[in-house]
Amino acid sequence: MRQPLIACICLVAALLFTVKSRGDDPMVVLIANPSVIQSSLSLETVRAIFAMRQRTLADGQAIHVFVLPDGDPLHEAFAKKILGVYPHQLRLAWDRAVFSGTGQAPNEVATAAEMVKAVATTPGGIGYAYRSELTNQVRVIDID
Amino acid sequence: MPDTFQVHGFMSQALILTDHNDFFGPSSRDTGSLEYTELGLNASFRPRSNVLVAGQVLSRKAGGYGDAWKPTLDYGVIDYQLLSGERRVLGLQVGRFKNPFGIYNQTRDVPSTRAGILLPQSIYFDRSRSLGLASDGITVYDEERFSRGTLYIQGGLGIPQVNGDAEISLSPTKPSLDGRISSILQVLYAHDGGRVNLGVSAARVRSSFQSRQNPSAKGEFVFQPVILSAQYNAERWSLTAEYEYQHKELKDFDNDIYNSTADGESWYVQYQFRLTPDWQWLLRYDQTVSDRNDREGSRYASEGRGPSYSRFARDLSTGIKWSLSSRWMVQAEWHHVDGTAWLPRQDNESDEETTRRWNMLLFQTSYSF
Repeated sequence: MRQPLIACICLVAALLFTVKSRGDDPMVVLIANPSVIQSSLSLETVRAIFAMRQRTLADGQAIHVFVLPDGDPLHEAFAKKILGVYPHQLRLAWDRAVFSGTGQAPNEVATAAEMVKAVATTPGGIGYAYRSELTNQVRVIDID
Repeated sequence: MPDTFQVHGFMSQALILTDHNDFFGPSSRDTGSLEYTELGLNASFRPRSNVLVAGQVLSRKAGGYGDAWKPTLDYGVIDYQLLSGERRVLGLQVGRFKNPFGIYNQTRDVPSTRAGILLPQSIYFDRSRSLGLASDGITVYDEERFSRGTLYIQGGLGIPQVNGDAEISLSPTKPSLDGRISSILQVLYAHDGGRVNLGVSAARVRSSFQSRQNPSAKGEFVFQPVILSAQYNAERWSLTAEYEYQHKELKDFDNDIYNSTADGESWYVQYQFRLTPDWQWLLRYDQTVSDRNDREGSRYASEGRGPSYSRFARDLSTGIKWSLSSRWMVQAEWHHVDGTAWLPRQDNESDEETTRRWNMLLFQTSYSF
């Protein structure tokens, strides 16, 4: 049948050419435990880490991902402005990983302060924070 | 250091009401059917930084579907990542792995990952689901990252779990089928963090075929689907379309009258609109034909094999999903269906006693953690 195929092709073409770029938010930063030696990571790698598809860093260190609840403004800002994805997409990615045997769920913490503390005390810990709430116990990772 | 041991699970209960035909239990009686329940429990841990061990047990009741309540190993894998870099991840899974087929197959029984209560039945048919569910074998996966997107490639070899559901769905005479080594391949491209997803999945599912009426009728049944997938995700809405070409073949029979092929096709378009973060509306049109050379089933009917409308199905559905919390969900969904191509034979006495046009109303509550 030709109609659905043509419809699909048109849809795909239209979607690929809609361009929307990710805006950086200097208020929100990617943070890591000081054991993480990388000073920067590519955007696709960071997306993979938070989609729970990247389990180790290039040097073999195990990653431990920390996140805040879906509706948290910091989580939303990090997802949308830094990762360029919506919280509902992350939630679906985690459910798909957890229930298909391809990955694990991230560690959820309740507050931004707990997040900084958890990342600071977990080797391989990765999370996010408001720039204003940083401590010297975590490292800021640049996103290329 | 946090323990990497995790336990997750889900459960769901549905109420199904139909005006004609039975879907997942006696849904056409006044009180409907409560015979659609799903229970899943999984555990996983990372014994080493590059190894993941994960397994899930599934217990499910879906009307007259064969393995009611029987706990089955849904998947059980050892996942080893040979390479985990910034540009590339390369790994393999050994054990029982979920078949990467279309957008939804790997988590088809998990309510929180489905767009509605039912997946589009044209492609994710429940009545013979064992054909595509999982394989016992090995799968290799590769992720290639580019500046604005990621390419996922996964290929697998294994024995499928071809069960009684596939037997009765292939023919009311229930030939005996046994899974043989089969293959699956999926290539997916996710652009800009999954804003646009495009994919191709192809499989060759093989099983031995043995007639129960005529012991000398032995051969092979091959199911060879190809799926094209496209999805766009915006903040408030998602648009998904998939097209499947299904090649079905009976071959290697001594008596040539058994050797035959039929090419079917299915497609659906689905729109999800997030009214608020907690409320979602679904609209979907889903269509399947069992044989492209006999779209209306008239030849099938004239050969006296069954009603013409059992060879196609056109399903218009709409539904609403309410997330009470990140764990609890309540859904309602209405289907208007023309045709019975995916109506479970397990729930309906005979093809002849079915009705061509039917309506179905479903309610489901689910919990996951």
